[in-house]
Amino acid sequence: MSEPATKSPGDTSAESRDIIRVENVHKVFRGAKDHRIVALAGVSEVVARGEVLVLLGQSGSGKSTLLRSLNGLEAVDSGRIVVDGRDVTDRKTDLNALREEVGMVFQNFNLFKHKTALENITLPLEVVRRTSRQEARERAERMLARVGLADWAGSYPSQLSGGQQQRVAIARSLAMEPKVMLFDEVTSALDPETVGGVLRLMEELAGEGMTMVVVTHEIGFAKRAAHRIAFMDQGQVVERGDPQGFFAAPQSERAQQFLEQIL
Amino acid sequence: MFDWLLDVYNYRVVADYASTFAFGIWRTVWISTVSLLAALVLGTGIALMRRSRRRLARWPATVYVEALRGTPLLVQIYLVYYGLPEIPLLGRRLDELEGGVLALSVHTAAYMAEIIRAGIGSVPEGQAEGARSVGMTRWQTLRYVVLPQAFANATPPIIGQTAVLIKDSSLLSIIAVFETMSAGLRLMSDRYMPNEAFLTSAACFLAIYAVMLGVSNFAQRRLGGAT
Ligand SMILES: Nc1ncnc2c1ncn2[C@@H]1O[C@H](COP(=O)(O)OP(=O)(O)OP(=O)(O)O)[C@@H](O)[C@H]1O
Ligand SMILES: [Mg+2]
Repeated sequence: MSEPATKSPGDTSAESRDIIRVENVHKVFRGAKDHRIVALAGVSEVVARGEVLVLLGQSGSGKSTLLRSLNGLEAVDSGRIVVDGRDVTDRKTDLNALREEVGMVFQNFNLFKHKTALENITLPLEVVRRTSRQEARERAERMLARVGLADWAGSYPSQLSGGQQQRVAIARSLAMEPKVMLFDEVTSALDPETVGGVLRLMEELAGEGMTMVVVTHEIGFAKRAAHRIAFMDQGQVVERGDPQGFFAAPQSERAQQFLEQIL
Repeated sequence: MFDWLLDVYNYRVVADYASTFAFGIWRTVWISTVSLLAALVLGTGIALMRRSRRRLARWPATVYVEALRGTPLLVQIYLVYYGLPEIPLLGRRLDELEGGVLALSVHTAAYMAEIIRAGIGSVPEGQAEGARSVGMTRWQTLRYVVLPQAFANATPPIIGQTAVLIKDSSLLSIIAVFETMSAGLRLMSDRYMPNEAFLTSAACFLAIYAVMLGVSNFAQRRLGGAT
């Protein structure tokens, strides 16, 4: 994919530096009685390779919708989203191929209930990547060991704690060797004592240079791991900045109110 | 010693018909198994159509289900057996066994479709999202994640419907398909012994039902995993 000379130097560097570009994206949901719910109102954002972006905002501000639109789980109405050179908003784009490269971890884990921890990881490898059974198994075992669950390979999700399930879900995503990981309030449904393990794992990932977009209410995590904060309100990013600056002196009134509430 | 019993139920006569009933049971099991498999496949297709976003897929499926649930199986059997013209690829009309199995399959599929549709509905949305987010296609998601859980959840009503199917297969005796009911009818017409004829048929159906339950319980335990 090397075609230098044709593009201006600025163009090329921007393309390789930014792995995610969101340009003026709108999304309206139809609620009850055709009531219009504006979830995204012209949001724009850029994420650099290796960057950890933490999305903050009140409930209903559009954080999940934005995150889900990044891997095409939610189709947007207008605007453009480009992830690793693929236009997510273009109908012709192969979203399945994109999703192999963009891992997503959910609040409710979404582990396959009828599969063991190991099978949760081998299934996508075998089905999507066409990895051989043996190789998939070995990779799954390595991933489980990496998230500290080597001894739980044969357990079904219902036999695992929330924190363990979430770590399996992260392992399932990581096994696909994604270039970007999306996290949507992944510790919100966990018992307090299991939150730490999941956050530590995410910090490790961040330390290894994984590009991450993280929706969370864990301010401690945001302070430690975020390179940048984007604060959303009513479907737009209304403030962005580095964590120190943002938490010490938020500029917008909405961000000030938000921080007062949660701190 | 069992002389009193001979008056009510002459098992010696029944014993003379043992091979007749055995053949009837074999046929009932065969008809039910083939119809069950066909109904599950057809029913899954109809269920998916009913859940489709496209109206053009939804409404034919709805019409199918309601038309078949709203008319008697007996009428459907007559219609298929007497009504169907020559089948192009086959070069002849269906014989009574083929027509009977077709009618039973098509009828049972309408009920199975509703059961499977509910089964699919019982699988949380997040399961499909988890699958799509690791790059599985719609079809892979259905095949490896949604349908296995849907069928696991729907197993009890599927077994119930299978019991109905086994009993319904007795209706095929009216288009001269030889099965368990026909075995009883043969004894009845030969000897005019209603108890021997119909109690034996009933016992045979009960035995088939019991074996079916045993097999499905065994299979459920083997395939069940933890849910
Ligand atoms: N599938 C949907 N159908 C209808 N409305 C939706 C849907 N998903 C989201 N919305 C609405 O869109 C708006 C933005 O929702 P979103 O889930 O993105 O917010 P959020 O910032 O993630 O909030 P939270 O912190 O509560 O998770 C909300 O008003 C929400 O009710
Ligand atoms: Mg949310």
